[in-house]
Amino acid sequence: MYPEELRYTAEHEWVRATDSGTIVFGITDFAQDSLGDIVYVSLPAAGSTLAAGAACGEVESTKSVSDVYAPVGGEVVAVNGALDAAPETINTDPYGDGWLVELRTTDPEAMQGLLTAADYRALVEKA
Amino acid sequence: MSAAPLKTTPLHARHLAAGAKTADFGGWDMPIEYEGVVAEHTAVRSAVGLFDVSHMGKVRIHGPGAAAFLNSVLANDLDRVDAGQAQYSMLCNQEGGVIDDLIVYRWGDDEVFMIPNAANAPTVVAELQGRAPAGVSVDDHHRDHGIIAVQGPRSADLLDAMGLPTDHDYMAMASAQFGGQPLIVCRTGYTGEHGYELVAPADVLVDLWDALLEAGQPFGAVPAGLGARDTLRTEMGYPLHGQDISPTITPVEAMLGWAVGWAKPEFVGRDALVAQREAGPQRRLRGLLALDRGIPRPHMQVRRDGGDDPLGGEVVGEVTSGTFSPTLKQGIGLALLDVSVAVDDEVVVDVRGRASRFRVVKPPFVEPSTR
Repeated sequence: MYPEELRYTAEHEWVRATDSGTIVFGITDFAQDSLGDIVYVSLPAAGSTLAAGAACGEVESTKSVSDVYAPVGGEVVAVNGALDAAPETINTDPYGDGWLVELRTTDPEAMQGLLTAADYRALVEKA
Repeated sequence: MSAAPLKTTPLHARHLAAGAKTADFGGWDMPIEYEGVVAEHTAVRSAVGLFDVSHMGKVRIHGPGAAAFLNSVLANDLDRVDAGQAQYSMLCNQEGGVIDDLIVYRWGDDEVFMIPNAANAPTVVAELQGRAPAGVSVDDHHRDHGIIAVQGPRSADLLDAMGLPTDHDYMAMASAQFGGQPLIVCRTGYTGEHGYELVAPADVLVDLWDALLEAGQPFGAVPAGLGARDTLRTEMGYPLHGQDISPTITPVEAMLGWAVGWAKPEFVGRDALVAQREAGPQRRLRGLLALDRGIPRPHMQVRRDGGDDPLGGEVVGEVTSGTFSPTLKQGIGLALLDVSVAVDDEVVVDVRGRASRFRVVKPPFVEPSTR
């Protein structure tokens, strides 16, 4: 449910460092399960610059809506355009095809400050 | 949120075992979804879904003249239906606002059963008890019966397979037996599909649920939660009390004049409603159909198109219900709109600071198949 190689945030997002030096993030399995069937996703424009913690989009389900936050600061390299037609991919594959945004971070060290899988699991199990 | 512990229905353990997510609904811990709102919604539109709606109230009104008494209080004209038929009605306040909307089962002149909303049931019971003449009793049977709604195009096949009656008309009841206990099978629902609501004694409800699920397997029956119930009813434009109708929203405003017995000499709120109907309401409940990806939600503001400043237009109303329509795959909603707004007008909804465009329509959004 919470892959060991990923980092996490208290906002229920996961972050992965890629081989090309960028980071990719999405929402966790806990987040998609809490939201229920996801029906709409809005994401930041490619090329835009996000501050760490900035609200930069929304994930909306049949029941409710949740903001998307930039887990670290950086420039948006790509967004997952396939979610426009198939937002339910976030429900079925939150850590894979359901990714949200790829960032070129201005602060590579920030990644180390995020939660580990064990930290995040503890946070979720407390909830 | 009250501190009182949530009430549960006899099926609560079944819901948890099936993996339901539950939430407080009118003071009851009810299943919101099992597999997911969209899958359950689709099952009801294409096959059959089973809903536990036992949280709804059950009130028996009996004694000489019970039906005539109710007809002097409730808004709809109960004399429009015969014994064995059900009717949608409302209990209004003196100002014409809706204290609750309910289904009335007319068994006879001296015997009536009513299904009010869960949270409003105690108020409805108290209002009726306070007005009942000598000889007419108003008994609260909230916990004595459960209700299972069987809804969808295969609902008749499922009940047939159980040996239960299915041939009666829309909005009619039939008496049956299950497990040696009396069962009411009513052709009603809140989904817009052909369907039935089964009222059974609480102590046979688990067996009835299990039997329905088992007999329903060949027909694709699944348990469905209140999340799907809400998306299904919103597609029909059916009002939800507490959102689209309330003690401060009248039947005239909510386009429910068809459920008011205007020719009756007496019912609570009559003077206010007749006056409002003659003068014309200031606002009306209309449908909103998204022209972009926006999904309306209750309390969002509706504005006239502000042109270069899309959210700068005049406020003309408020969204009362809104969701993503699993059938249409777009945002739909109900909104109380100023009467200056016409059907087919384009309006703008403030979706968390973003301007989203909608067409004003007359519900339903999806054609009903109730009959």
